[in-house]
This record gives sequence, structure tokens and C-alpha cells, in this order.
Amino acid sequence: MTDIAADKRPAGGGVIAHHPLREMLTGSVASIGFTFIVVIVAGLLLVGPKFVSAGNISIMGAFVIVPLIVGAFSGFALLAGVVDLSIGSMVGISSALFALFITMGWPLWAAGAVTLLICLGFGAINAVAIVGFGADAIAATLGMLTALRGITWVLAGNEKAIFAFDMNFFGLVNQSVFGLPLFFLLAILVSLIAALVATKTRVGRHVRAVGGDELAAARAGISVKRVRTAALLLSAFGAGIGGIIYEGQLGSAAGATGFGLEFQVYAALMIGGYSILRGGVGNPLGGALGLLAVAGVSNILDNTGVSPYFVNIIVGLLLLAAVLLDRLRGGDAFE
Amino acid sequence: MSLDRAMDRTPSRALLLGVRLHGWGTGLTLLAVWLLLIAATGFYRPDFFTHQTVLAIAFTMSIVGVMAIGQGIVANSGGFIDLSQPAGLILSSLVAVRLSETGLPFVLVVVGTVLTGMVWGGVNATIIVLAKLNPVIVTLATNFIGLATLYLVFQLAQVPIGSAIYDFGRANLLGLPAIWWPMLALVLLVGLLMRSTRYGRRITAVGGNRAAAAARGISLKKTRFGTFIAAGGFVGFAAILFASSAGPFNPGSANTLQLNIIAAVILAGISLRGGQGNFWMLLLSVGFLSTIPTSLVFFGLSSDTQTIFQGAILIIAVAIDGYRIRRGAR
Repeated sequence: MTDIAADKRPAGGGVIAHHPLREMLTGSVASIGFTFIVVIVAGLLLVGPKFVSAGNISIMGAFVIVPLIVGAFSGFALLAGVVDLSIGSMVGISSALFALFITMGWPLWAAGAVTLLICLGFGAINAVAIVGFGADAIAATLGMLTALRGITWVLAGNEKAIFAFDMNFFGLVNQSVFGLPLFFLLAILVSLIAALVATKTRVGRHVRAVGGDELAAARAGISVKRVRTAALLLSAFGAGIGGIIYEGQLGSAAGATGFGLEFQVYAALMIGGYSILRGGVGNPLGGALGLLAVAGVSNILDNTGVSPYFVNIIVGLLLLAAVLLDRLRGGDAFE
Repeated sequence: MSLDRAMDRTPSRALLLGVRLHGWGTGLTLLAVWLLLIAATGFYRPDFFTHQTVLAIAFTMSIVGVMAIGQGIVANSGGFIDLSQPAGLILSSLVAVRLSETGLPFVLVVVGTVLTGMVWGGVNATIIVLAKLNPVIVTLATNFIGLATLYLVFQLAQVPIGSAIYDFGRANLLGLPAIWWPMLALVLLVGLLMRSTRYGRRITAVGGNRAAAAARGISLKKTRFGTFIAAGGFVGFAAILFASSAGPFNPGSANTLQLNIIAAVILAGISLRGGQGNFWMLLLSVGFLSTIPTSLVFFGLSSDTQTIFQGAILIIAVAIDGYRIRRGAR
């Protein structure tokens, strides 16, 4: 992906990065953290104390479970410099397959395992095209997005949906602990683990190195192909899990499940400091805050009775502001 | 990939010849695949060969073709992809509807609609050039903002029945839809202009190698403005064809077109990495992609399956494109 944007830019951009305190105050996580606080303050002012009540957070939380999990995994693909646009359709097909297997009377674990394996298979096709043949990631995964959506529509059949309600699974997914949805807390946990892996482990450093400057990474003995393949598989896996959870939340899978999710997730991740065009930047923590901030904005609009279309206007403006900020911080300038 | 690109910057004479040949190779391959599809469908269902089929394919070709010219110019100039085409198309179509409701003559409706598209392209270009942001992200954001705003403005719109633009969308000329002919003319014209005028060659030069183009004294800013405004103009013109023939539309009506357009551009050999491509090939790629839905119906497959085929074709096409660039660079 570096090929579109990056000219000869030193790895790591022009960030004055070696002072941890300064990085903490001026880095991308700081600006999304600040945005997040602004959203909470705006919520308190416009909606009132109800905004931070357990009930309202549960409503918000239930909506962001799937985006959080999908974002945590596909963030690794962004870090490795291979954007995966097929995640929305991958969520759709995973949800449809899982529902289909349940209607066939399969046990939950088997339905889930086979669904995830099939998703990994599609992820492998992405990897073969992008890593093996050198296809452009945006265009190739756009093709996968279309193809998977088509298969999902075919699976959904004439009713446009598969109804597969499993009492146990529905109960599990929609369970609450401490007044908050269990899976929301799990999704936060997944994001935190992803953040630790991305920033504190050798694997994470390799991924970011490959995304930041693949030549330097290759010279340092990191297998660029292996890292990118793994990142694309991870992204497909995360979307597969997201689809299964979606099915659990709703008790059914529709042909349109997950439609457009990729743009919502990536817009929020970019607001959170990732770049879809340049690997090596971003942090799962910032990504999660980006998703929560967008969910917060959308909740404020819901509660104040403003048209939901304003969410997309605000998301678009935040996105432009975030990439502009990233550029001013030393990211790529176009031209 | 940046390795490939770095090497792309110094194309040898042999490579240039290869690119030239590969342009025609792409054309021959496309033509062969297209003819194969037509022959297979006709063999399976001889009633495929009817005037009705030709009309259906030509209708689909018209709008996708004109928008693909715009997308192709953006890609060719190194702008990668314009993701805001759906918003631009719907905005211009809405203007076309409102203008024709006031009873303006057809020519003025066309002028107003095309200008709207150019303004939309100009807005994109302004953000891209002034803020120095990547076109993909800028157009992703403006598409978000544009479509959401359009939803606030209208839910459903249609050109007045019986108006000139309405009749234009339903008229036939020499056995083909009237809206098909302007598409043909524009593809042929742009293909010629891109190849044989200074402006066309400048666009390709910027797309091929920004730094070298700038060193040769080509203004990157002007080129960027020019390409996005021109691309917007084609979206505006496509809006005339869309509004005249699509019936009632809502702000989401153009979302399904986007992928077809990008696929058509890539299949035509107009690399998303910029700097190469023959616009005449768009006739073949758009024709091929527009035949798929009709063929599948004749094979008794649901229209949902067409997206599977289109997606698979796109993956294969970009894989081949990537492989060719990689091999060419070595």
C-alpha cells in the first residue's frame, strides 16, 4: 500500500518519537483520546447524566461489539500495510454460514469452527492474490467484498435471511455482567490484548516494521510475505468471529448483514490514528477509542432526535480532520 | 510493493514496448473472453441473440462507461481511485431532475448537470490539493458526507414524465439506446485526446512519475485540479444518462455501480498505480462486464450470482495486473 502514498520518506515519519512523555501527549492515541473525552462531555451536556448510565452504555456497547472485534483484528492488516476491504462482506458470509449450519442441526462448536475455517480460506485467497501475485490490496479485497456479498445473497435465498435462533447462544451473546453486555467487555479486552501485542511484542514490532518500510524490514530478516499473509488471515478470522457474534445477537443472518461495515470500521480506525494507505501507523487502543467515539456521536444524535444521517457527515468530517492531523504530525503529504 | 514502484520509475525502452504490446494484449484477451461469454450463452440459449439482449447490455454500458472514463482519468493521473463518484452522480442527477422540473430546455439541463459534477470534482480537488491529503481518503470522506447530506435533502426523485430528458432516456437510435451513443463518442474522444494531446500526455506523465513530471515543469496542482474537475464532468454527464433512464432513484441508488466502474477500469488495463492505460479498452471491459448480468439470467442463475462473478473477475484481474507489474519491474 505504501506504493500509492509514500515517496521516499524515512521510516517512522518525522515524529519526534523518542521521548515517551511527549509521544503520549502528541501522538495519535492522545488526539483520539482527546476526541473521545470531547464526545463524552458533549454527551453529558446534550443528553445529560443519562448518557453515562449503565443502560445507555449497554445500548452503545451492544452496537460496537462487532466493530470493535473486527477492528482489532483487521487493524493488524492495516499495520502490515495491506488494507482488507472485504471485512464487511466477510462478516456477512460468516453470519450466513453459521446460521445455515445451525439450521442443519450442527452443534454450535462445529458450526463455529467450520465457519471460521471457511473465512480463513477466503482470507487465504486474498493473501494469494495480494502477497503471492502482488495484486493491489484495495482492488483485490474490493473484488472479494463483492464476491462474498454475492455468495451471502445466494445463501440467504429468496427470504433474504436465514433464521437460526439458538436459545443457548443467544443467551450467551446477550448476557450482561455488572450491568454491561458481557461481549462488550470481552471486545474491550480483545482490543487491549491487540494493543499489547502490537506495541509490546516482537510479533507486533515485525508487523509494524513490514508496514512501515518493507525493504528495511526485509533487510532486517523479517519475512514480509509471511507477515502480510498472517495479517490477512487474522483479518479474515476476526471478521469471521464478528459474523458469528452478529448472528448470536440477532438470532438470524440477513443477506445484507455487515453491508458497508468496512467503511464504518476503517473510517473510525483512521479517526483513531490508523492509515489505510500506509502501514506501520496506528494502535489498536486508538482504533478502539475511534470506534467508541463514533458510537458515542451516533448515540448522542439518537438521544437528541437528530437525523441519523448526520452521523455520516460527522464521521466524514472527523476523518478528514484526523488524516490532516496525521499529515501535520509528519505523515505523508500527497504531492 | 514500494520496491516495484521504485523500479517502475525508470522504465527501459524494452519495457515501454512491452507496455504498448500489453495494451493490445489486454484488448485481445478482453475481446476473446467477451466473445466466449456471448457464444456460450447463445449456444446454451439461442434466444439470447435478440434485440432485447442488445438493448439491455447497451443500457448498462452507457452509465458505467461514462463514469469509467472519469475513474480512468483519476487513476491514470496517479489519483488512484475516486470513491466519491456515487455521491457526485446522485447530486448531479438531483440537479438534473430539479432543472428539468422548471421546464428549462434540454441543453441547459445538460450544461447545468455537467457543471454540478465539475463543481463536485472541484471540491474534492480543493481538499486534496490544499490539505495535501490522499485522494482515496478524501473521496471516501466526501462520499460519506455527500450521500448523508443528500439523504437529508431528498428521499426519492425522478425526472418529470414526458420531459425532453425523460424521452431521451427511452429513445432508440440505429437500434441502440440513445444514451449509448454519447458514451461511445466520449470513450473514443477521450482515448484520442489522452494519447495525442499535450494535456493527456501530461496527465499520464504525472501518474507515471510525479517527481519526473514536476521536474519537467508540469504543475502537479493544476493537473490534479484538472483531472478531478474533468472526472467530475464525466460523472455529471453520466448523471444525465442515469436520471433520464433510471426511473425513480434515491441517494443509495448509485452504490452498486461503484464496483463495476472500478472493475471496468482495471480490466481495461488502466493501472490503479497510474501512468498507463488505453481508454479505448474501456469499450471492451465495460461491454464484457455489462454482458455478465444478462448472460447469467439466460443461464437461469439468479441476479445475485452476478456479483460473485464480478468479484472473482476483479480479484483475478488485479492479480494479473500485479503480477505483470512485478515481472515488468524485474
